[in-house]
Amino acid sequence: MNALILQQLTLTFRTAKGESWRQRTIAEDHAMTGNHPGFGVVMKCITHEPGVAWVTSQGGDLTVGGYLAARDPPDDLIHLLGEGKFGHKIYSARVSRHEPEGPPLSTGCDSINGMNPQKVRSRYDAVIVGAGAAGLSTALGLYRALESDGNRNDSSPKVLVVSKLQPLRSHTGSAEGGIAASLGNQEKDDWHWHYYDTIKGSDWLADQDAVRILAEQAPGIIIELEHDGVAFSRTEDRHIAQRKFGGHTADYGGHPVRRAAYAADRIGHQILHALWQQCLRLGVEFAEEWYVTDLVVDPPADEETGGHARGLIVLDTHAGKLQAIQADNIVLCTGGAGRLFHTTSNSWDLTGDGMALALQAGLQLEDVEFIQFHPTGLGHTGILLSEASRAEGGVLRNSQGRAFMQDYAPGHGDLAARDVVSRSIMAEIDAGRGVADPSDPDGPHDCVWLDMTGIDGQRMTALLPQVTETIHRYAHLDPTVDMVPVKPTAHYTMGGIPITDRGRVYRWQNGHRRIVDGLFAAGECSCVSVHGANRLGGNSLLDACLFGTRTGQTIAAAMTKADEPNDTTDTSPLTQALQKRQAFLDELLAGASNGESSEPALADDQDEASDSDDDATLNNPYALMGRLGRLMEEAVAVRCDQGSIEKGLRGLDQLETDAKQLHAHSETAVLNQEVTAIMEVDNLLTLARAVLNASLQRQESRGALYRSDYPQRDDEHYLAHTMIDAKEDVSWQPVHIVDMPPKGRNY
Amino acid sequence: MTSQSTESDGSKASASDSDPRPVTFRIARFTPRPQSERPARINPFAKSNPFAAAGSRRARGRRWTQEYTIRIAPQHTVLDALLQIKREADPTLNFRYSCGHGMCGSDAVLINGRPDLLCAATIADCLSASKTMLNAYASPGVAAGNPQVQQPSVFRRTGTAAAVTGVSSSAAHSNSDTEPSATNHSEASDPTDPSVPIEATGLTKTPDYAETSVVEIRPLPGFTPLRDLIVDTDAMFEQIRRFKPYLLHDDPSADSGQSHRESDQRQTHDSQLDPLAKAKAANTEPASEYKQTPEELARYELLSTCIACGLCQGACPIYAGGEAFAGPAAMIAAARFINDSRDSHRQERLEAIDQVDGIQACQSIRACTRPCPRGIDVGEEMWKLVEAVKE
Repeated sequence: MNALILQQLTLTFRTAKGESWRQRTIAEDHAMTGNHPGFGVVMKCITHEPGVAWVTSQGGDLTVGGYLAARDPPDDLIHLLGEGKFGHKIYSARVSRHEPEGPPLSTGCDSINGMNPQKVRSRYDAVIVGAGAAGLSTALGLYRALESDGNRNDSSPKVLVVSKLQPLRSHTGSAEGGIAASLGNQEKDDWHWHYYDTIKGSDWLADQDAVRILAEQAPGIIIELEHDGVAFSRTEDRHIAQRKFGGHTADYGGHPVRRAAYAADRIGHQILHALWQQCLRLGVEFAEEWYVTDLVVDPPADEETGGHARGLIVLDTHAGKLQAIQADNIVLCTGGAGRLFHTTSNSWDLTGDGMALALQAGLQLEDVEFIQFHPTGLGHTGILLSEASRAEGGVLRNSQGRAFMQDYAPGHGDLAARDVVSRSIMAEIDAGRGVADPSDPDGPHDCVWLDMTGIDGQRMTALLPQVTETIHRYAHLDPTVDMVPVKPTAHYTMGGIPITDRGRVYRWQNGHRRIVDGLFAAGECSCVSVHGANRLGGNSLLDACLFGTRTGQTIAAAMTKADEPNDTTDTSPLTQALQKRQAFLDELLAGASNGESSEPALADDQDEASDSDDDATLNNPYALMGRLGRLMEEAVAVRCDQGSIEKGLRGLDQLETDAKQLHAHSETAVLNQEVTAIMEVDNLLTLARAVLNASLQRQESRGALYRSDYPQRDDEHYLAHTMIDAKEDVSWQPVHIVDMPPKGRNY
Repeated sequence: MTSQSTESDGSKASASDSDPRPVTFRIARFTPRPQSERPARINPFAKSNPFAAAGSRRARGRRWTQEYTIRIAPQHTVLDALLQIKREADPTLNFRYSCGHGMCGSDAVLINGRPDLLCAATIADCLSASKTMLNAYASPGVAAGNPQVQQPSVFRRTGTAAAVTGVSSSAAHSNSDTEPSATNHSEASDPTDPSVPIEATGLTKTPDYAETSVVEIRPLPGFTPLRDLIVDTDAMFEQIRRFKPYLLHDDPSADSGQSHRESDQRQTHDSQLDPLAKAKAANTEPASEYKQTPEELARYELLSTCIACGLCQGACPIYAGGEAFAGPAAMIAAARFINDSRDSHRQERLEAIDQVDGIQACQSIRACTRPCPRGIDVGEEMWKLVEAVKE
């Protein structure tokens, strides 16, 4: 949050026992620290709004410092730990305040400040949007590359990581199974095999030059992550342990190989925390719980160029204020868009913001019709049960108890690629061999069993603690004895913002990639494309970390070269975007005072409210998001055809009409989640249209996209990436085939 | 997780036990006053004794308690319930949430007086646990009773409106005229209101959550509420950060015979941005992981699963009570590296936490253990730190 700098404050100190107390009044006129003659203290005081204060004070007859308790509710009485005339005691202090006139003073980024910048600069060398694995890897890649550059200027880079969540809340932390790399720690492995498996898994839609980088450099990335502190599980000989994972094989499609480095079943948590920790070490500056509302990109000057990214409009949700940020380099690392669907393993925050920003800025998305459904979402919650549960011996069974995956993917069985398993599950359900969730025995038979009873109990606890806990907590089942209901859950967007293997965003124009200057992307919101039509397990963290790091390095190189100050560009597009967004925000908030009161009186019919899912009762973004999720599920989840897609598009028209009516129900802008949610809904709707149209255009079945009206892969017409923009113009970019001509993809 | 699935989720309990039933959620709400509306504050110089106005200056804004009654099945989580409220009753209710399954650590709050994650607490838990709550938490609350700490304990239960109103502070509720009609109980029942010096007797008796099916939700103690259930977590992260929560491995020769970082940097410098060249170089001189045995890993593995949700902080009477204490979350973050065999700075780390507001502030109350969603025995780990520091 923004810290408010006090210009004047009064501190009254006394000992814990109240022996004595004295008062200090400090007028702070220009800076937070400094000697204040006459008071004999060096003092630093920052108060958060409302009520938290940080105070350090030394010199004179009193030394205090450290933590001042946050209050619930805040009060002005604060406790200081310190040493003074009266000994080493806890002192109490009372802060009285004067509100500063004009804008808060800045102290730059001091370690004692809050997690957010004291003052946002109007211009940055680089702004990274998103603080999951990709965003943090980009930041680290950038800082480390600059550090290792001996000639770098002594001024530190002005880099800001803007994220809608505190970084540790990012959904990277929920990744469970592993991160793929041919370390060969437990059996022979070769990056060429990883290369092959990834391309085969992609149904030959991945760009092979990019996949080559992914497979070849994966081991180095794992080592780097280990050095960053990731608590990998270990082999007895002290190396990083590896497990089998779906689609990863030895010898070009041979037997399953142990390629996924893991940390029990919480590799994502470990990676996220380690990357964040290293960012703290390097002093990366964060702006947390800021939401990017607009990306401003100058249109291309001619057909040979791709345009130029100028800046961002951000909403500081804590202050409820919009701001324009100019940046020489902008990196979008906003993650996926699982919230397009009702049943999803994704967190509530994965609303496709970065992809929608790109579309709204006039850019294209690549291959957005490919959305991976993870086969084993728990019951009807959608919560992910890691693929590790099958890697460690879990078996999918239908209502007759048959381990049906052997019928669909002989030799691979339960560890076939995810799209194959998801479709097989749906086929079993369609054939009437599905089971009902035991918690709702009369409900639809739209699940199958995950049978983990064959896994030794101790082994399960040791290797699958997270999976076990999730089943216990959210299904109230014991996986050592109970069968667990699972169904496919929306998991990963293979497509996204098109980038080069250096992380640069481009436009596909007249058969050429035209770089958008100053714009980058990494992670799930981007499309390199290494995943093609279907991602292999263990490759998403790898993609995010590896291409994030490369993106950071690319920017560092650009920064060191670009000594000349960036051309003094006309900032009016940014200003205009800010004004436009401000008007939008004002209108949303004004809606609260016009219409219902800020806290709607609860009607008497509350009891009926719980099952009144018929939407019209209360038009708010949360209800609308639910409607969209159901619409998309009917239209394109796991399978689709022209009819379902067109029905989805018609439904989308209605949702868009309703979305235009949305307004906030509280006029207070500070931490108004509904305001953010309205913009998230806008983003989801923008993206949903692109997904549906791209699905409609691709008249074949490939990887995660299964069109029942075109059940075959059609390399003659569709061995190409879909490039779609907000105007629904679709063009096709040929796949980079380097080493491996397309073959059948049998699991 | 997706609470639209209301109808189909359930437990193995009998049908009647898992049927939706009316449950009332009593939620502490707070809307900060926009900055621009705030009048200039009083002149501090005019105050001869700033203590005189104790309790009158609170976070500016509107506070009230709001009740929502919805139908929900008991096996659902409180997060499901609040999301249902957002969708169907009141989109203005603000609370953090993200992953919905206990991994992101966003949604720590106080539920029926007990620190918990919204997504981890089921309705059934809340309604049954309230009876056993007091025994579990009363003692820590009492132990927090430093006379100088005028904050009531985290665990001090209210709801006994009589006990509270007996010592009510009018200033605290000056805004009550603006409160919505939804509240039908005493607004004075603000259990963490510092201006209300609740006596310890408030601990002895609790209301009957089970009978009335009321789930009371408040912001996590020890953190400044910013709006409704959203609190300021900056202070916690600052304290975590203070103890250098990152791996510092100084002696690469011990493992790989070569500094990975140095080689990395050289390569980056030489080949600038050619990752292929870098990879090749790395292949000829392969960097290697820092070695660790499974046993060495086991010493810190559980510690490394901390999600920094802050529940331990909210449960700690020292921290939440307002003492100068870095807090259990910061200690756990420090312990994670102290116990990591790869880290070269164990001694410095132990010295760093051996401060009056570091591990010395811990009074081994161990209230921090119970709420940990990752199953870390925080209290025991703190005690181990105390012992390690002594050595």
